[in-house]
Amino acid sequence: MVFITGGAYQGKEAFAAEKYGVGEDEIRACTEDGEPDWSSRCVTHLERYVWYCVKNGLTPEDRFRDDAVLTGDDIFCGVVPIDVTERAWREETGRFYSRVSSRADKVWRVFCGLPLELK
Amino acid sequence: MKILFSGGCKNGKSTLAERSVKALAGDGPLYYIATMIPHDDEDRARIRRHVESRAGMGFITLEQGTNVTRCLDRADENGAFLLDSVTALLSNEMWSENGYDPDAGERAAAELTELARRARHIVFVSDFIYSDAGHYDEFTETYRRALALCDRVLARECDTVVEVVSSNPVIYKGGLPF
Repeated sequence: MVFITGGAYQGKEAFAAEKYGVGEDEIRACTEDGEPDWSSRCVTHLERYVWYCVKNGLTPEDRFRDDAVLTGDDIFCGVVPIDVTERAWREETGRFYSRVSSRADKVWRVFCGLPLELK
Repeated sequence: MKILFSGGCKNGKSTLAERSVKALAGDGPLYYIATMIPHDDEDRARIRRHVESRAGMGFITLEQGTNVTRCLDRADENGAFLLDSVTALLSNEMWSENGYDPDAGERAAAELTELARRARHIVFVSDFIYSDAGHYDEFTETYRRALALCDRVLARECDTVVEVVSSNPVIYKGGLPF
């Protein structure tokens, strides 16, 4: 499993396509309204799935494929949000990414379109 | 050589950028592309402080708040340029006297690309504003997306791309000229 993180709009999906040959038809973006497509090879915007979980009192799960390529926005470097839901979302996302990263064989951070290997 | 510096605010980007552009200029002309358009006395005071802090550093100031490639009409393209910052430039392009332009990102990215290609040596400073946990309004989100576009385009054009963390360079591409 591969996990690609980084700030918003940094080019994570383009990197997934370039490095791992992910096709546009394989990409399933998470929504804030339901579970991810667990059977998909490439699942993006994991932070949105965590938002769904936080809003509905659920704990985010990792049921992704062993060969999955996952992306999630880094949302951790701003001021602590005033809103209680946003605050919980930020923390829950951090914990979830750590779990996903520990399972992943490879972890990347993308910065201005350029990759940095973290694991 | 073309260099892009980004990173969090007050992390030392401008200092590293100034050092780089001076190393690149050698004995040739050294230009500072001033992007701020003053709107009130506070802005004018800030500009005065910046001008004073640059005095004696050998910079020729080119004031260009929008349509940034036009500054080349008044400069030697074989010189070394410092553009600080992409953030201010995009803000001027997106919110001008003509109002709000949601397509300013594409326009600014195209101008910055041309500037990067024509200038022999140029150092860009941008700001990393992409890692906070907000659900923003449409204007802010459009601005963030547009700045990220400018950053990615410049990262492709530049020989060196650096994230500055507490004055320490994290090099994603290339190397520094000093």
